[in-house]
Amino acid sequence: MRTVALISGGKDSCYNILQCIAAGHEIVALANLHPPISSNESNFFTLDEMDSYMYQTVGHDAIDLYSEATGLPLYREAIIGTSLQQGSDYTHESPEDEVEDLYRLLSHVKEMESIEAVSVGAILSNYQRVRVENVCNRLGLTSLSYLWQRDQEELLNEMILSGMNSILIKVAALGLDPKKHLGKSLQECQHDLLKLKAKFGLNVCGEGGEYETLTLDCPLFKKSIVVIESETVPHSKDPFAPVAYLKFPKLSLAHKVF
Amino acid sequence: MVNFTVDEIRVMMDKKRNIRNMSVIAHVDHGKSTLTDSLVGKAGIIAGAKAGEMRFTDTRKDEQERCITIKSTAVTMYFELSEKDCAFITNPEQRESTEKGFLINLIDSPGHVDFSSEVTAALRVTDGALVVVDCVSGVCVQTETVLRQAIGERIKPILFMNKMDRALLELQLDQEALYQTFQRIVENVNVIVATYADDEGPMGEISVDPSKGSVGFGSGLHGWAFTLKQFAEMYADKFKIDTIKLMNRLWGENFFNPTTKKWSKTKDADNKRSFNMYVLDPLYKVFDAIMNYKKEETDSLLTKLGIKLSLEDREKDGKNLLKAVVRQWLPAGDTLLQMIAIHLPSPAVAQKYRTEMLYEGPLDDESAVAMKNCDPNGPLMMYISKMVPTTDKGRFYAFGRVFAGKVCTGMKARIMGPNYVPGNKADLYEKAIQRTVLMMGRFVEAIEDVPCGNICGLVGVDQFLVKTGTISTFKDAHNLRVMKFSVSPVVRVAVEPKNPADLPKLVEGLKRLAKSDPMVQCIIEESGEHIVAGAGELHLEICLKDLEEDHACIPLKKSDPVVSYRETVSEESDQVCLSKSPNKHNRLYMKAVPMPDGLPEDIDKGDVNARDDFKIRGRYLSDKYEYDVTEARKIWCFGPDTTGPNLLMDVTKGVQYLNEIKDSVVAGFQWATKEGVLCDENMRGVRFNIHDVTLHADAIHRGGGQIIPTARRVFYASVLTAAPRLMEPVYLCEIQCPENAVGGIYGVLNRRRGHVFEESQVAGTPMFIVKAYLPVNESFGFTADLRSNTGGQAFPQCVFDHWQILPGNPFEVTTKPGQVVTDTRKRKGLKEGIPALDSYLDKL
Repeated sequence: MRTVALISGGKDSCYNILQCIAAGHEIVALANLHPPISSNESNFFTLDEMDSYMYQTVGHDAIDLYSEATGLPLYREAIIGTSLQQGSDYTHESPEDEVEDLYRLLSHVKEMESIEAVSVGAILSNYQRVRVENVCNRLGLTSLSYLWQRDQEELLNEMILSGMNSILIKVAALGLDPKKHLGKSLQECQHDLLKLKAKFGLNVCGEGGEYETLTLDCPLFKKSIVVIESETVPHSKDPFAPVAYLKFPKLSLAHKVF
Repeated sequence: MVNFTVDEIRVMMDKKRNIRNMSVIAHVDHGKSTLTDSLVGKAGIIAGAKAGEMRFTDTRKDEQERCITIKSTAVTMYFELSEKDCAFITNPEQRESTEKGFLINLIDSPGHVDFSSEVTAALRVTDGALVVVDCVSGVCVQTETVLRQAIGERIKPILFMNKMDRALLELQLDQEALYQTFQRIVENVNVIVATYADDEGPMGEISVDPSKGSVGFGSGLHGWAFTLKQFAEMYADKFKIDTIKLMNRLWGENFFNPTTKKWSKTKDADNKRSFNMYVLDPLYKVFDAIMNYKKEETDSLLTKLGIKLSLEDREKDGKNLLKAVVRQWLPAGDTLLQMIAIHLPSPAVAQKYRTEMLYEGPLDDESAVAMKNCDPNGPLMMYISKMVPTTDKGRFYAFGRVFAGKVCTGMKARIMGPNYVPGNKADLYEKAIQRTVLMMGRFVEAIEDVPCGNICGLVGVDQFLVKTGTISTFKDAHNLRVMKFSVSPVVRVAVEPKNPADLPKLVEGLKRLAKSDPMVQCIIEESGEHIVAGAGELHLEICLKDLEEDHACIPLKKSDPVVSYRETVSEESDQVCLSKSPNKHNRLYMKAVPMPDGLPEDIDKGDVNARDDFKIRGRYLSDKYEYDVTEARKIWCFGPDTTGPNLLMDVTKGVQYLNEIKDSVVAGFQWATKEGVLCDENMRGVRFNIHDVTLHADAIHRGGGQIIPTARRVFYASVLTAAPRLMEPVYLCEIQCPENAVGGIYGVLNRRRGHVFEESQVAGTPMFIVKAYLPVNESFGFTADLRSNTGGQAFPQCVFDHWQILPGNPFEVTTKPGQVVTDTRKRKGLKEGIPALDSYLDKL
């Protein structure tokens, strides 16, 4: 099927693309929702982390490079809405809900690329799944989530072995330390994640918002992303589970050597 | 001295009705170890030539030097009851019908308050207690403490009035005064007993009664003792009255007129109290005759009593002759062993009523049933109460009591630590028991297996248990309840090696120290400091000496002792505090409220605890503390360590998913109450109310990693907004001294922020007893200070009593609590100053 891949820059959306391709689907475009753009010129985006219920927004500064890295067209829309319906079900009542931003984005892509399916990287978040499916149903699209309900530990291991290179760009959970874990690859953090799972019941794939990642390279990429400059931005000064994320003022692409 | 081989002892061990497990408990210096000696001399097994030496059970060098028992020590004894004495045992569960021999496992325990954790450990493995009271000083603070503990553990007491020689020789009390002294002590003991249990309880009759023979009199030092039974037997033939009937006549308000030969219930001019006449009078005569060198009278008395002295003894006079005579007339060993065999329960009897309070699991499962019946064929259930160092450095015997089944050398068993929960793997090991050993004073003997009802040591278990634990072969067995100590480790010092390169040795030594003492705590602070915490100055002194000389074997630097504090709140939080989870999708709303007076103590005592039925507990809280019943039923947990004196209550109204985050909030609560916000000390007396929560609809977004830190923050925010205060530990201090020294005591106490609340004269003596409260923090060097101010005449006994608020605002650095917070934070390597509220409190 002709498929558009919803990407956040994170490992799950990227790995699901690999799964789609393996299952014989054709990825024709990428789609992404980014934080609203402010009018202030000096600071292009006012908000890096919106604490959205639906979308990963940290690392959005790297998404533009994805089009070039993969060689696929990228469609982007700004997140205008906020999370209004916070229950487990979703009925598209209010056009101001952040889910409606996704609807706008996908209907636009559907027009342009005549897609039939959407690749979604949800693993365990019912909240996300319900909302994406709602949007897909309304557009007559099929949602492809190959990661859905997979065992997290197994999945994490698979991702690491698949040759993806993802780094942690936001931590927000007890036991994850900005100083120690930010900017580290999944492989480097795997041990700590498993330890924290045993200790506090952490979701090793970060599905509960424990951490977010940015994929710098994966077998799909024609060029890999190189971080030239990054800075740590503290988000809340929680003394036990400090939250911070990485911002990338300077990124570039590098040709891959095989 | 009976000389038994291990095989013979092993045969005795199977006769569970003929076993007595007992401990000797008393106030410090009331003569436990000396008394125990006279028993060991009479009936000790195996220990051979060594027995009878002074203070056999004081095995350590420092114990001998200081004349104080530090560690409890077990001795096994064998004693045969004569045919006629066997008739006194009426309960068939108390004696195998054909067996006259009794196996007595005796544990001598320390009397000093600082070591009362040893007493607790001793009581757990025994069923009966010989309570020793110095008849000159009477029932003292520690007598009461240990007696209370004994009753709490369902240990049956018998009483022994020690140091009668002093009453006769030094104080020269007349007969009636001595009787009154005895009478008062018996009453005092029974009052304490009755406070904590009554005779209708599951243990049956537990008050002590001289006329039943459960009270002994005598002198451990001189080696003589008697009960009314001994005297009744002497007179039974003469009066032609049954011994038991006569015993009743020999105590209490019974008077005999020798001229009319009439008994009476009231005192008249010409009749005499039967106890004075038939018991004390002969004794006084002997004392008088010998001590005043009335040679002829002595001889005639000796013939009357049928005492034949050895040639050697004939040469003696005065005190030494007296000792020899009375010892032969009324040998202490026989009397005490009779009391023990007749009045203390066998394991078969005791385990019936002790099981329900020892076992945590359901009372009808295999383990519980086997324990109740003391069934050697049931699954193994054994409680390890303490670790005893072996000659091999760093290794320990795990010492404990087999309650059901048999423990054998080489058998595979489940070793369950105190944190083990059935169905879980934490704190559980399945390992082979390398060896089982018998432990007797200084000696150990290997033994093939040990059946239930006995006390023994295990080899190869020490590396799996820190201090205590349960050993079982039944896979669904629950733990045996952990011991509750009457003292807490409130005094602490920091230690470091003089040579920094010795640090690994210190760490290893601390591990060993933690094992070897039931109470001591060895903690590593975040700052990297190594802390040793003990019950008092003396306890710490001994622990540090052990650490330096035996466990770590390196020179140490020790800090001045400091006390531990508690954090509490004095008002309700001035706002409902909100904290958001790291992903910002969950919010918790909470308030802190101080508990009403008395509730934290109720929780400490276990009157209110996590295991109670929530309805009964709710009713209790609402009746006694005016808590709202519906709220009081919704206690989520206690903390720290799930049993501490802080509460988490759910006062929300119909919140979605609330139960799903309960575990995480509870985890945050345990953490926050263990390490308070002011200076990382435990919290005390704080009730937290959960007012509301808003949660992410998706379970995955409200896992432990999100909720635990949020809960901890909101607890801290609640405390900071509720006028937090520090609490300091306070000793109850009992000081004995002559009248002229009382003034000096007041002076010393005043200087140390202490205050006297009771002052009384010990009846019949010139001694005064002053009771005072003294902050533990001010107690360092108190004993020495007191002695120098009273010319060495005052002796204090300090026992931890309660926590009191240290007045002042801890946020102001100049106040006392402010100073404590600053010092403590500095010592623990925490950031300077109490953290600001806004790092815990979020805005909507």
